[in-house]
Amino acid sequence: MNNKAQQLDVTPLVEATYYQAVTAAIRSEAIRLLGEGKVAAVVGYRAGRRNNSALPAIVTSIDQVDQLIFSPACVNNLALYLTKAKNEVKGKGKLALVAKGCDLRAVAGLLGENQLKRDDVHLIGIACAGVYGAEADRGLPLCEATIARKCRECTVHEPQRTDAVTGILPKLKELPHLESEELARLEAMTPKERWDYWQAHFARCIRCLACRQVCPFCYCEQCLCDKNRPQAVESSPRPAGNSAWHIVRAMHLAGRCSACAECERGCPMDIPLNLLNRKMAKELKELYAYEAGLEPQEKGPLTSYKEDDDQSFIK
Amino acid sequence: MKHDFEPKIVAFVCTWCTYAGADLAGTSRLQYPPNVRVLKFPCTGRIDPVFILRAFQKGADGVLVSGCHPGDCHYMAGNYHARRRFAAFRKLLEFVGVDLERLQFSWVSAAEGGKWVEMVTGLTERVRTMGPLAEFKELEQAECWSGKLDTPELNEAYQEI
Repeated sequence: MNNKAQQLDVTPLVEATYYQAVTAAIRSEAIRLLGEGKVAAVVGYRAGRRNNSALPAIVTSIDQVDQLIFSPACVNNLALYLTKAKNEVKGKGKLALVAKGCDLRAVAGLLGENQLKRDDVHLIGIACAGVYGAEADRGLPLCEATIARKCRECTVHEPQRTDAVTGILPKLKELPHLESEELARLEAMTPKERWDYWQAHFARCIRCLACRQVCPFCYCEQCLCDKNRPQAVESSPRPAGNSAWHIVRAMHLAGRCSACAECERGCPMDIPLNLLNRKMAKELKELYAYEAGLEPQEKGPLTSYKEDDDQSFIK
Repeated sequence: MKHDFEPKIVAFVCTWCTYAGADLAGTSRLQYPPNVRVLKFPCTGRIDPVFILRAFQKGADGVLVSGCHPGDCHYMAGNYHARRRFAAFRKLLEFVGVDLERLQFSWVSAAEGGKWVEMVTGLTERVRTMGPLAEFKELEQAECWSGKLDTPELNEAYQEI
């Protein structure tokens, strides 16, 4: 991987000054909002202890505002803090949320699913060029060698439907779409090869459920997969239960997933989970012309129907 | 006629149409293979993809899902929703490498005893020629860890407890 990374272009996609400007804009917006008492807390990012890393930060007073930053290390999807799974944050009152394009897509999904009212959140949209991938060398700036796989084919660099926008992006370089290429490679395989590919990945799963914890759409109070009597999905980390878990997860996210790829980033075993999500998104687009976007949609593809839907597979 | 392999077929059926259709097949004295195990649900909309997955994992060689024709649903739209969900689920199963020939969806009304017989016979014979569903059976047996619990070190530690 490292050898491959070195062959890739390391010229920065955007200047370092861009991030300074965005950071300053976030801070001034946070000061304004907290000062005027418009919001109870600002959910953003602060610098992590390790070199060039970032953590989610919940800022409730003006003297903490200096913590807030934005950099390519701001990988987390903060829309997670708007779900009922994070009631301790939501309970503080109205929140301001620092949101990249993919986070805004998750917010739109939550709005569509009535998990959130638009008035209950102040969105600080960020024009985002991309974030670091999991194995990126954090010493380098954001460049072709360090950018996350999902950001290579991002369609939401520019935020929309937000209360404030920070940053104006320069024209970004077009990068090869590695994830789509990988998906096409899998689709071209025989079923047996695909089965072996996925079983090799699923067998490594340790069932830490990080994919569930980071997902803004996994907000159910009781997950089907935690239930016993009757048990739907085996809970021990054996290959059989693992496959069932990942299939069920992909199915429950079908038509809802906002493709932030947090599941893949959070996975300690590096299972390419976003390929499953991407595949389902692709199929639902083909079948029902549905695509997750920045506009909240009242009904998802699997919660609505048409009388003339395709039924060629049913005898 | 004796066969080498008797497949296990699980049928998830809706109580209002297909279950009544199967009942009609019975009262009409129609013959069909006894390999099928029928599970009755209120509606095809109640049949979660998890059930299908679990049937395969717990030893089914084929699964039949059957309910009311579009427009005939007792709950107005259960089968329309199910149709979309199953269409998506098929694509997902295909992507993880499951052979879709073992999974059959059908609409069988309460008057179609003959169609029920046809569906069950067709699926049973198709699965019979395909043989047992080896992938899921191996998966069910597989363990992540090496499974070596009788090494000398562990035995010694166990004796000391």
